[in-house]
Amino acid sequence: MARRYDSRTTIFSPEGRLYQVEYAMEAISHAGTVIGVLSKDGIVLAAERQATSNLLEQSLDNEKIYEMNDNVVAGVAGHAADANTLINQSRAIAQRYLLKYDSPMPVEQLVRRLCDMKQGYTQYGGLRPFGVSFLCAGWDSTFGFQLYQSDPAGNYSSWKAACIGENYSNAQSILKQEYKDEEKEEAGPNVRTVGSQMTMDDALKLTCQVLSKTIDTAKLSSKKLEFATITLKAGKPFIHVYTSTEIDEVLKKYESVIKPADSQ
Amino acid sequence: QGLDDMDPIEFRLPHTIQRPAVAPSHGPKAHTTRPIVTGTSVVAFKYKDGIIMAADCLASYGSLARYRNEKRLMAVGETTLLGVSGDMSDFQHMQHTLESLLTQEYDMDDGQTLGTKSVYKCISNIMYNRRTKGDPLWNSYVIAGVDNGQKMLGYVDLYGTTYQSTSIATGYGGHLAQPILRRLVEGREDEVTEEEAVQILDECMRVLFYRDARSLSKIRRAKVTAQGVEISEPYTLETNWDFAESITGYGS
Repeated sequence: MARRYDSRTTIFSPEGRLYQVEYAMEAISHAGTVIGVLSKDGIVLAAERQATSNLLEQSLDNEKIYEMNDNVVAGVAGHAADANTLINQSRAIAQRYLLKYDSPMPVEQLVRRLCDMKQGYTQYGGLRPFGVSFLCAGWDSTFGFQLYQSDPAGNYSSWKAACIGENYSNAQSILKQEYKDEEKEEAGPNVRTVGSQMTMDDALKLTCQVLSKTIDTAKLSSKKLEFATITLKAGKPFIHVYTSTEIDEVLKKYESVIKPADSQ
Repeated sequence: QGLDDMDPIEFRLPHTIQRPAVAPSHGPKAHTTRPIVTGTSVVAFKYKDGIIMAADCLASYGSLARYRNEKRLMAVGETTLLGVSGDMSDFQHMQHTLESLLTQEYDMDDGQTLGTKSVYKCISNIMYNRRTKGDPLWNSYVIAGVDNGQKMLGYVDLYGTTYQSTSIATGYGGHLAQPILRRLVEGREDEVTEEEAVQILDECMRVLFYRDARSLSKIRRAKVTAQGVEISEPYTLETNWDFAESITGYGS
């Protein structure tokens, strides 16, 4: 009799579940996949677009990957309109921090503020939760490169590699297998980084590999993908959202790991 | 006001709340018109290891040298040193505000700390906003720290004017000490050793004691380096008033 307990977000079911939150997560599991992989020199974010048409103006159409700030880029999975509201809020939050403290907002604080907002909609107000999960990739001077995953419940956690959206469990298990896990803890004067042994190259390769296995179209192409990386340039975070040409180049470079269409 | 936000019936989600535009009326607004208990000059400059700063231990009540063991140098967290001149009650208000800021940081418990640049920005914003309301905090602040290996030395005053420089001095210090600092320190901030810095600083404070009629020879100095903030105990400057005997005129 789940029906009785799922129309209001603010109440528990007898089994202690919040159905609306779960339904939101269900919505996300049908959305375009987003993958994030952390390396010692940066983070790769890749996403599958679900809206594809020759008529779409690709270069102006941002569906999955958005810059939050000079030091944070995020991939979204779920309801696009919900995602837009949250992106706008996050951007304003990050700018207010910069205005107040003359310093870029630490990544975790931005993610936490976003998640506190999402949590509010599961406890108050009688409104439905946001049907969006995020993968936030960012850099700050205290903790270096970080990748956070957040869900409609307002939970967030930090990952070395993560996946949200369609086929995420499939992707997650591949990532777990293939991610080079040996790490050294390095403590610099101001930067504490968990020294992943993955290089950017490894991360890009792994991303392509996982994408090819989870996206169920015949062939990976830049039409279906959005790609971004965050790295350091001259000690400052640098976000690069790839153009379709650049995506094609990446796919070409790592075509050895991309499963060819006929052998699937 | 804060608790109303949590009422489940009235609850409006944080990003949809609009604060009322009209301020509550409690009668005529009182504005700061003049400083009452005041501190005089603060002198600071960059040297090899960081920044060194000094201020005397006096809080004057007009021409009365009223409080002679006053602290006008304070540490903000582990990384920032603050010196103040002007109204002492306004300084105490700022101290409380900064205390709240640090408490918020502690509560967040996320391994992040506010750098000197951020503390400087917060103070600047407060000072400018107060001046815009016509109710200034009647102070001049000197803010110093070492952020990621970079030495930072800045100034904010009651107007909200800000600037950063190798050497800064407030009040009479701007007239009497700044020329000394410009001659001895500007352009060689990375060469000046701590020993030399202390000598230069003491000389500036001595000159100020001779000429500023609202100063005291008992001073404190402080330094901020990559290792943090250190504020010294008070000590008295040696002065030589022998020349006084040779003065003629004005009742001699």
